[in-house]
Amino acid sequence: MHGPRIVVASPHRYPDLARLWYRGVARGLAPALRRAGLDVEVVVFRDAHADEFDPAWFPGAVLEAPGPGVRDFLEFYDAALALDADYLFLLDADLFFVDPEWPVSWLPRFDQENVAAVSFLRRTQEPGVYALLCRTAAYRELPRPVFAPAYEDLEDERNTVNRQPGDVAARRLRERGREILYAEPAEAEERIADFHGTTVIRASREVFGHLMDGPGFEGLVSRKRYFAMGAYDNALLGSLYQSVFGEPFAPGPGGEPLGGSVTAEAVRRELEQVRDRKVKEELEDYFLRSDRSILRLAAIEGIDLPLPDLRPQGWRRA
Amino acid sequence: MTQAVDTTRVLGPGEFYYKETFGPGTVCRGAVLLECEWDGGIVESGALMGVIFRSGDFRGGTFWGGVFLGGTWTDGVWESGFDHAGRYRPRTDHP
Repeated sequence: MHGPRIVVASPHRYPDLARLWYRGVARGLAPALRRAGLDVEVVVFRDAHADEFDPAWFPGAVLEAPGPGVRDFLEFYDAALALDADYLFLLDADLFFVDPEWPVSWLPRFDQENVAAVSFLRRTQEPGVYALLCRTAAYRELPRPVFAPAYEDLEDERNTVNRQPGDVAARRLRERGREILYAEPAEAEERIADFHGTTVIRASREVFGHLMDGPGFEGLVSRKRYFAMGAYDNALLGSLYQSVFGEPFAPGPGGEPLGGSVTAEAVRRELEQVRDRKVKEELEDYFLRSDRSILRLAAIEGIDLPLPDLRPQGWRRA
Repeated sequence: MTQAVDTTRVLGPGEFYYKETFGPGTVCRGAVLLECEWDGGIVESGALMGVIFRSGDFRGGTFWGGVFLGGTWTDGVWESGFDHAGRYRPRTDHP
């Protein structure tokens, strides 16, 4: 007899990050959910480069790809909701559970009928879809597309709001008297290793990097905080990936490590151009957090990982 | 004899613009625009990321993650974005 079914769903544009992500899920989260009596299926959506995802890297997973009605990763969220499951666990491509028993410990909260979801990580007031465990029946009651982002009040510029994926659904659930539970940020900080913007900077290099010269693209690191975070985190993930798999991460056209993102040397050089004290301090804080995250993942692998030298002189280090 | 003055501004390959506004008489021919506003003019090629497209003609290039409030979509690559109603339109589903 099968227990309740859960689909763990995650969209990925790059096979190397998906490989690292799936390694963690297959070893940690999926077995923990099974031990709790759940029938688990892991679905990896290949948002691009579908033919580069080696099935041998994803034993036991279902590999999906864009098609009619599922044209990109945001439509995939709704497609995953339609799968035969009692729970849907949406996970970001660059999010890892350091403690896989922790999300499992929240499952009894669904005994309360009005609980629609648990958000383990949020970056705004809304739950996001970074690590969102949903009761599928509750979300299926909502108008489709359920998880799509939106702009509201576009005609009134001062009050225009950009709703992120899952935000509109959260509001509609609240209007129906449903509840979304939130993990305490401090608790999540200890149990989740998450990275930011790692796919966006690679996709940007892929989509428009060829329209700029190399240094021009790399200059985005000093101009846009989000690009700095993504470039830094990719360098960390690249170190771990190289240690675990012995292969370059985010390779460029010639196979050079991080050539598809921003190389470690270029990250350091561009960070030197950050003059705004507040931005520098925010980035320093963020980098320290990322350092802790990658070291926790390395510890799970039993690796004593040397951190790449990414900070310019004078920047705070651990 | 009066000589015609060419007021067209061309945004060419290798050029990058961040949080700038472009009006009629501008042609994007290979530039990258990040979080800019486009209010008139023609996009022939290049990439517009997070751009508010108010008016003009999009004839080629990539539109990614912006809002297409008005204007004409003739051709190009629609990676993702929002239409004038704020509705999300996924890859290939251009206005």
